Amino acid sequence: MTATYRRVRRRWGAPLLFLLPAALLFVAFLAIPIGYALYLSFRGMRVSGGGPFGLRQETWVGLDNYVAVFTDPELLAGLGRLAVYGVIAVPLTLGFALAFALLLDLPRVRGARFSRTAIFIPYAVPGVVATLLWGFLYLPSTSPGNWILERIGLGGIDVLHGPILFPSVANIAIWGGVGFNMIILYTSLRGIPTDVYEAARLDGASEWDIAYRIKIPLVGPALILTGLFALIGTLQVYGEPATLRPMTSAISQTWVPLMMIYRDAFTRDNLSVAAASSVALALGTLVVSIILLRVTQKRSFGGS
Amino acid sequence: MKRTDAGGGTDSSAKLVTATRAENAPDVAIVEYNTLPAMIVAGVAQDITEYADGLEGEFAPGVWSQATFDGATYGVPQDAGPQALTYNKARFDELGIEVPTTWEEFAEAAEKVHEADPDTYITTFAPDDFGGIAAFAQQAGAEWWSVDGDTWTVDFDDDASVAVADYWQDLIDRDLVQAEPLLTPEWNAKVNDGEVLSWPAGLWAAGVLYGVAEESAGDWAMAPLPQWEEGDSAVGFQGGSAVVVTTSAEHPEAAAEFARWMGTADEASAAQIEQGQYPASLAGQELTLESDPPLLMPKQKDYWETAAEITRNTIPEISWGPNTNVASSAFQDAMSTAVTNGTPLRDALTEIEAEVVDDMKTAGFEVAQK
Repeated sequence: MTATYRRVRRRWGAPLLFLLPAALLFVAFLAIPIGYALYLSFRGMRVSGGGPFGLRQETWVGLDNYVAVFTDPELLAGLGRLAVYGVIAVPLTLGFALAFALLLDLPRVRGARFSRTAIFIPYAVPGVVATLLWGFLYLPSTSPGNWILERIGLGGIDVLHGPILFPSVANIAIWGGVGFNMIILYTSLRGIPTDVYEAARLDGASEWDIAYRIKIPLVGPALILTGLFALIGTLQVYGEPATLRPMTSAISQTWVPLMMIYRDAFTRDNLSVAAASSVALALGTLVVSIILLRVTQKRSFGGS
Repeated sequence: MKRTDAGGGTDSSAKLVTATRAENAPDVAIVEYNTLPAMIVAGVAQDITEYADGLEGEFAPGVWSQATFDGATYGVPQDAGPQALTYNKARFDELGIEVPTTWEEFAEAAEKVHEADPDTYITTFAPDDFGGIAAFAQQAGAEWWSVDGDTWTVDFDDDASVAVADYWQDLIDRDLVQAEPLLTPEWNAKVNDGEVLSWPAGLWAAGVLYGVAEESAGDWAMAPLPQWEEGDSAVGFQGGSAVVVTTSAEHPEAAAEFARWMGTADEASAAQIEQGQYPASLAGQELTLESDPPLLMPKQKDYWETAAEITRNTIPEISWGPNTNVASSAFQDAMSTAVTNGTPLRDALTEIEAEVVDDMKTAGFEVAQK
């Protein structure tokens, strides 16, 4: 008995000890907050006691918050705007990143180190700074583009209103995101053994053929990975539109779902509804990610 | 004593509510009048009626009523923001525009300004400026929230508010005012270039404009806000705040004493005037008469006399609702969408009312059917 117990303890003691710090951090900073958000999503502030200025107190409200979230047309509209934004931002970010990575990976390319740094630098600029910077470039009175357009007799354009607002917002994310994605793809390209290229060249393949038939298929898993990051990043868009909002009346407080969650929690002091939307958004993100991985699994992980 | 600048506006109230739930809010806090009811129902502000003996006489009735609800006092008024017209006098003179005294004259002046210089507008209509437009509506006689016993009445689209919405709608449609947000880099540039000539806003506008358009200081002056009827003199409040004692205060009596000092002492008022605020207390307002005019209009010798005159005529009873934060947020989106899509502003008012009533009913307030 004792011997078995000791053997079991010896076998489990060390791994448990090593797991402990990570497990504690996970519980403290992930499991408890998620649990609390779930709890909050079933609670609500309701007036207790009489009088026109009766105090509001927290009570159970069942599914009221979820009903409020799913019947709010603004959530659906926000997801719609997010989709338009994603359709512009995701392919362009990945497309530019792949194009730059392939260009940098060409043999005997000149100025590779400089170009790589130059393309990567925007990623190092904090999102809020980048958005303010682009905001100044967009506003008609401070925009150098409009200044030139007006000087040569063409009217200025307002890129913060109307349908052009979507590309304007997406542009900021593309500008900031290309460098990061390029580095991932480029690293993956550098990992391809060079004898594959030699064999292809001996068979008479041009650089274009090599890129199209060898490099792109071989960086498939990296493309899927960056695609997944971009998709999740899209669902979490907040900083760019929220920072641009004071500059244009075309961006509402509910322009994207996360802005709506912020508004409910902090502007309207309704943490419960905000918690319910957060839970819904997190579940949605999970489902979309699983679907994407399922669909692309065969390509990215060799069908295993 | 420890002081925190919480940022003002909705930022401050969010932080106060959160701190109160964690039971570590400061003993006293400065709260804008229009969010005070929301702070009361959120359990932030404490009833200080028992410590407020003799305080009422220190303030004009219109100011005092903003910190008193249902007979209970929840704060000591600190600064007041009656609306006035802050205008670029140099450009008005250059274009030969008289200072308008009624809104009708204001519209005519808008027309003249835009005719004389197509790049220039008399003012900006900011669709997200809840406080400003609320004050315009109050001046016209609107009462967005009113309470009778335990029952609230919410009325955002009464005749007065609709008239105000239609007035600005007309100016926007005729391209006589620009409909865009305030205090953006864009707007600041136009103010500096003399392309936006006036700002009907709280008396604090002088300080804000000096911050964004320092170069044009000296060109500006302040006049009473235009009126709906010739000869009237009532104006609403835009902004202004009270010092409240929070429910986290362990020694409410001492905290209330400090709040009283901040709202009424000469030293406190002098510090406020220096910062460009207009004191709420009568003694503080008296004190301004010996002060220099604000930095934005150093040449306007009668600035403080005019300010005192305006404050004597503010609307006495203004009640804000328990969910002003929701109203303000609904207002910003509905009005901005209306301006962006070119749909009527009056319809936006109806939408806002529906959202406000809905929120109050969900929270469990009694709301009367109109």
